[in-house]
Amino acid sequence: MKAEGLLALSREILRAAGEAEAELYLRVAERGCARFAIGELGQHMQLAEPQAVVRVARGSRVAETVTSRLDRDALVDAVRATGRAAMLVPEVEAFPGFTRADEPAGASPDRYVAATARATPEERVERLAPVLDAIRDAGLVSAGMLETTSVSQAMATTGGCARSHDATVANFRVWALATPGAGGPAGYGGQVHGDVGALRLAEETERAIRVCRMSREPASLEAGSYDVVMEPEAVTELLEWLAAIAFAAPEVEQGTSPMAGRLGERVTGEGVDLVEDPLCDDPALGFGAPFDREGTWKQRVPLVENGVARAILYDRTYAARMAATSTGSAQLPSLGSAGGVGPTSLMLGAGTAGGVDDLLAGVQRGLYVCRLHYVNGLLDPRRAVMTGLTRDGCFLVENGKIGRAVGNMRFTDSLLEGLARCDGMTRERKAVPTWWSDSGAFVSPAVRIRGWRFNGKSQEAVG
Amino acid sequence: MTDASLHAALAWLRKQPDVRYAEVRLVDEGGERLRVRDGRPEQVTAEASRGVGIRVLGAKTWGFACSADTSEGALLATASRALAIARASAAVARKPVVFPEQAASLGIYETPLAVDPFTISLETKLAALDAPVHALRSGDARLKSAEAWMDWTRQKKRLLTTEGTDVTQTFTFGACGMNVFASSADGTSQRRSYPTWQGGDGFQAGWERVTALDLPGHVDRVKDEVLALLTAPLCPAGTRTLLLESSQVALQIHESCGHPTELDRALGTEISLAGGSFMQPGMLGKLQYGSPLVTIVADATSAGGNGTFGWDDEGVPAGKRALIERGLFVDYLSSRETAAALGRASTGTMRADAWNRTPIIRMVNVSLEAGAAGTLEDLVAATDDGLLVATDKSWSIDDIRLNFQFSCEIAWEIKRGKRTRLLRDPFYTGITPRFWGSCDAICDERDWRLWGITSCGKGDPMQVMHVGHGASAARFRDVTVGSAS
Repeated sequence: MKAEGLLALSREILRAAGEAEAELYLRVAERGCARFAIGELGQHMQLAEPQAVVRVARGSRVAETVTSRLDRDALVDAVRATGRAAMLVPEVEAFPGFTRADEPAGASPDRYVAATARATPEERVERLAPVLDAIRDAGLVSAGMLETTSVSQAMATTGGCARSHDATVANFRVWALATPGAGGPAGYGGQVHGDVGALRLAEETERAIRVCRMSREPASLEAGSYDVVMEPEAVTELLEWLAAIAFAAPEVEQGTSPMAGRLGERVTGEGVDLVEDPLCDDPALGFGAPFDREGTWKQRVPLVENGVARAILYDRTYAARMAATSTGSAQLPSLGSAGGVGPTSLMLGAGTAGGVDDLLAGVQRGLYVCRLHYVNGLLDPRRAVMTGLTRDGCFLVENGKIGRAVGNMRFTDSLLEGLARCDGMTRERKAVPTWWSDSGAFVSPAVRIRGWRFNGKSQEAVG
Repeated sequence: MTDASLHAALAWLRKQPDVRYAEVRLVDEGGERLRVRDGRPEQVTAEASRGVGIRVLGAKTWGFACSADTSEGALLATASRALAIARASAAVARKPVVFPEQAASLGIYETPLAVDPFTISLETKLAALDAPVHALRSGDARLKSAEAWMDWTRQKKRLLTTEGTDVTQTFTFGACGMNVFASSADGTSQRRSYPTWQGGDGFQAGWERVTALDLPGHVDRVKDEVLALLTAPLCPAGTRTLLLESSQVALQIHESCGHPTELDRALGTEISLAGGSFMQPGMLGKLQYGSPLVTIVADATSAGGNGTFGWDDEGVPAGKRALIERGLFVDYLSSRETAAALGRASTGTMRADAWNRTPIIRMVNVSLEAGAAGTLEDLVAATDDGLLVATDKSWSIDDIRLNFQFSCEIAWEIKRGKRTRLLRDPFYTGITPRFWGSCDAICDERDWRLWGITSCGKGDPMQVMHVGHGASAARFRDVTVGSAS
């Protein structure tokens, strides 16, 4: 069902259920996921993801129901049951009520491409066949996924707020590997776009093969501080964790965020801009619905400007509690998570470098890092200290040139302090899907950071 | 009605000449998520999810489709779609999937409960969270924020296969815990949790488990420790003898033994997102993974375990088998297809986290067998110089599960058999077989506890699974430690 149909259904349900203060969000995702590994298309799936999120308020007592059942009777029952539960719940401090009809809304970005929504299993197979062949012909092992997804969303409140939006996402990720599962040389390519026809599968596959070949016979490098040039895929891994710990009102109120008590202060280097920009109109960078789960129209929010903390993100309740205005950052519950508040489209500002080679030219001795793995940002959230490892390409840089491959290295450093040592970013930026969301992506240029701290190295094999 | 629909879909699949195997899996689940923070209800959510997943093995390879509509017409269409996907994918398959036969399984599994949590009122549950939160924040202005949570899930699963398997399972999963954040004027922020970090506090049991946890009874200790951490020195860097308390051993098992013994990872089918494994098939029976004290078992029958069930999602009965036997790597967590690649039988670990996901290999209860080193306090007393760390704070490990680094909420320095000063922000790091090889003491049954992880992520798209880990405290020599701050 498309978004307009979901909107009509949500209004009908709210009328039929008869609750005075209620909110209903309906979301239907249809995902075609062609997942390949060891050169075979072993998991090819058509996934239906229907979701309804109901909230009912009795005064400032609020309860919520999340259900996959979108038939009329089930939804009416869900609204009424949520109303009964709300009577048993303590009052929510500063609950502002649900969104009303007069809440401002903007122009809805066109993020729906029929070719992506209609992509068939046969079409995905046809697109992937040359990918599998190319990696096999290179004498390497392939893995990855081509996904074509359509997401229709609508929400309505008893206060008259009504929103709807259709979007598509095509997401391609590919690995070229020296071994199927034992580690060793590996290269990655990937791209996300609203239009499956805009994906450059051959180009990204070639990149994965090239990086894998470059990664042969890695040297073992000692731990220490190295100047690094990181590709956007590596930077966005770090930004995901920064998003999780830094910018949401609950973490700021709790005092664990590095932004807590520091708005207006310098938190990182000059020239560093971080923006939550869910309304970005570049079809290669912007994804998802233009409104949040509460129906608040999303905003472009400069979070860090020239290294100075400027703003954080709110939903309606935290905004009311903290004397602010909602930024449209209320998130849907997903993957067993509670939802909450946070960015969906965090973007690191572009620099002036013409490309990665320009960044490398300024490195006497350092590392070129293609991707990171298993980053964790909970070591010391107040300083945004993170640890993780390199993956899928890490190379020694000497005299401005990429040299020998280096075995995977573990870093432990503060991202904000690292960005304070950033002295180069590319003009071009890339969208990288966030791993916890099928409709969001973070955007980054490639960056150069001086003195990034590595505290360990991984063996490539046991022996 | 649904029963007839499931059988109709299976009957249609049986008639298709190129269907070698198919499974039809109905999942109907409901639950609630409750969270109280600083005296207010942060989340009061009821959850419901219902649908059918159909996995089909065609002439060469697999197809999967699913539907929230469980009517006969919808499930026939879903079966047809799954087969169409398998047929489409066959165009690029080089060789047919080898999938050994499995005797039909029949039966019922149900979580044993003393007190059904869904008979306890919402008010009682919220009050059980509100009281400790209030107590955690009282008495000191540095106690900045406190929260307590409780999750309940009841999942009913019916599995029918073309081999004649027909099993019905009803699981009741729970999780409960609390934490408190304290801040000092200099900006230092510390957290202390009970019973462990959120996500490591799961179980398969009823309300009786919440009663036994006794959150109010642990408030004073948790408060005292978090306040003491604010002024504690940072954990000094060095090479130390390290004692892990039970829940930290559980996480260590999870990341450095559970995941690398997943055969799909080892063979290379989980590269996207998760990665591979240093524990390759050629190392079976040869790799000295740990010291002779270390025996780690995969046990899907442990009472109350988060990874306990009757049958996996391929109809293989739950069992118990060693993965590491006296330090030697002897077996994998496997599926029918992956085990066949090694000429072995499935160890029964295929599970999907929902009706709209395909089964993949998941940990069951992967547990370290108890040792003979007495209680934790006995082990401390037997340690001349070392560190005891507790309660995970951050976790990271490389893509083949060799290089790990974990930080913990708290550390105590041990001198001459006694806990001495408290240390904050400790982390430790190592290489998996070297670390387990340095294990020279494991506490006995009195310290052994079955922990449950509620948030194990794997697969693409991501699936979040309940898994379990039994462990008692253990000691490791010559470990690199430091401060995460």
